Amino acid sequence: MSDEHARRRGASRRPPVRQVVALGRGTLDMIDALGRAGLFLMLSCLGIPSREGIRLWLRQMHFVGVMSLAIVLVSGLFIGMVLALQGYTILVDFGAEDALGQMVALSLLRELAPVVSALLFAGRAGSALTAEIGLMKATEQLTSMEMIGVDPLRRVIAPRLWAGFVSLPLLTIGFSVVGIWGGYLVGVEWLGVFEGSYWSNMQGSVGFVADIGNGLVKSLVFAMVVTWIAVFQGYDLIPTSEGISRATTRTVVYSSLAILGLDFVLTAMMFGEIG
Amino acid sequence: MNDSLLVDVEGLHFSRGEKEIFRGLDLQVPRGKITAIMGPSGTGKTTLLKLIGGQLYPDAGRVRIAGEDVHRLPRRALFRLRRRMGMLFQSGALFSDLSVYENVAFPLRVHTDLPEAMIRDIVLMKLEAVGLRGARALMPSELSGGMLRRVALARAIALDPELILYDEPFVGQDPISMGVLVQLIKTVNQALGLTAVVVSHDIKETLSIADYVYVISDGRVMAHGTPATLDVDDDDRVRQFIHGEPDGPVPFHYPAPDYFTDIMTGRASS
Amino acid sequence: MKRSKIMEFGVGLFMLAGILGLVFLGLRVSGLGNGVGGDTFTLNANFANIGGLKVRSKVTVAGVQVGQVTGIELDPKWYDARVTMAIDSKLEGQLPRDSTAAILTAGLLGEQYVGLSLGGAPDTLKDGDTIRDTQQALVLEELIQQFVSNMVKN
Repeated sequence: MSDEHARRRGASRRPPVRQVVALGRGTLDMIDALGRAGLFLMLSCLGIPSREGIRLWLRQMHFVGVMSLAIVLVSGLFIGMVLALQGYTILVDFGAEDALGQMVALSLLRELAPVVSALLFAGRAGSALTAEIGLMKATEQLTSMEMIGVDPLRRVIAPRLWAGFVSLPLLTIGFSVVGIWGGYLVGVEWLGVFEGSYWSNMQGSVGFVADIGNGLVKSLVFAMVVTWIAVFQGYDLIPTSEGISRATTRTVVYSSLAILGLDFVLTAMMFGEIG
Repeated sequence: MNDSLLVDVEGLHFSRGEKEIFRGLDLQVPRGKITAIMGPSGTGKTTLLKLIGGQLYPDAGRVRIAGEDVHRLPRRALFRLRRRMGMLFQSGALFSDLSVYENVAFPLRVHTDLPEAMIRDIVLMKLEAVGLRGARALMPSELSGGMLRRVALARAIALDPELILYDEPFVGQDPISMGVLVQLIKTVNQALGLTAVVVSHDIKETLSIADYVYVISDGRVMAHGTPATLDVDDDDRVRQFIHGEPDGPVPFHYPAPDYFTDIMTGRASS
Repeated sequence: MKRSKIMEFGVGLFMLAGILGLVFLGLRVSGLGNGVGGDTFTLNANFANIGGLKVRSKVTVAGVQVGQVTGIELDPKWYDARVTMAIDSKLEGQLPRDSTAAILTAGLLGEQYVGLSLGGAPDTLKDGDTIRDTQQALVLEELIQQFVSNMVKN
């Protein structure tokens, strides 16, 4: 728009005012979207699962969980191996390489397993969920389901949400187990840390509730947030091919930011007091 | 209340954002007939079907189906009413994770407790009616566009609805599938005694099957009548649309400043 | 039908693997089941300073684990730490009354544990008995302080 044009439109279009207006509109849009997303989550999750619902959930467990297993396990193995290698070179300077098991296990259980699995999950399963639901929307499958008299929130969204909630904690457990084994391979088998001290140091320092439990709570929170974002982005997108590709990108970006931000908050709450 | 009317739309107003799509639309669909709703692209024909199906809510006016005000019904009653309606979507809208057979069986499984053998009989009967009994094991991704729409039609009539809404059934079809679809819509209407609403801008095909035609433009009904009377209508706008003339009351040019000054002032934007 | 069976089997395996993984984490990584399986009896010992000893720390005889620490509390009478240990009941009536308990460290920075050294008295320790002769944990700062003050004296 030319300057002349802008002046004619009057004071409300001058830069500072315009930016305040844009800020206000952005805030209102965000609140609106949050409200819609919250209502959406509530409507989808409530309700009694039927036998049919369980069958649909199983199918999504396969799609969301089992199909993500390979990438999560392979990443876990490599991260455990790298942790052991890096940890060893630092610890050996203090003659404390016996503490390797403790270091690997605690870093994995408290931080890396929940966070990295959730990031991988957002990239692998989250984006696929958004694209799939978006495609169903673009091809009018959701509308036609409604016309047949079936609520798509119940039939399409709910099984996917529950599958996500259950899958990610399981994947996180797998990540930890494989990572600790990877640390064992590098630390004990390759670098020659004494096997007994690898395990006993670990067992002496890892608390079942404080570390494993809290790690699982983290991953459950991440599971809810990531699945919710993915499914909502799919349901709420503009049903064109451009809309789908944007929504998929948004899913990955929003999920990653949410995971990292929430991780800080949760860590401060869980481990803040433990010196 | 006229008993021969199945759908009665009165004074419908609907806007999306700033844009007014309908401003006082009235139309009546008689029972057992094929009523066509025609109009240029972007006049909200699909929106009208969604309003009739109760998926969108109007700003004013009402839609009555068999005497029931669609938008006043509680959710449960609305879903019950939808059992009596079938809708054929532009893209077919088959569920991509179910086979052709399961797609047609879907409404039966949801709304009835029929035994599996009975469901099978009904599904095969409906598929036979659209000529795709042999394709029941295929997945929707393995079908052509015309076949998708035929399966969708079989699904739409699975529960023997009273009313069936067709959203642009002829768009993007080759001449053969177009002919097949025209034939099918006609037979389904006659054989099952259904009421049909066809939304389309394919004039020749639509006029060949419709009993009564509404032409909408600018959010209102511009003209209505039987195909024969519309064909000889003298109104400029109706003639332009029915005979497909490129220029007329609906201008060829998107509104723009004067061509000559536009070229001579030589600014890229504004 | 066949395909959906395979899928259900896959999901079943996935859930099972997750649960087994959790069991592995519980047993092998956090050492939940590490205590001595089966019956135990209780011994107490008072230490002047327990250093970094924790509940679930190991109790050993000659380096072999025979039990674990089940409780640590301040003894209000003497203001020292009262450590409760669960010991394998096979050793009940086998440990001489004058055995000593020491808090030891595995390696320089490793975890701390209780080491029992056997005495020679004919009487033996029974359930609920207290070990009199104890040696407190080595605290690095105190050690350095002693060393420095000794140097000054000389």
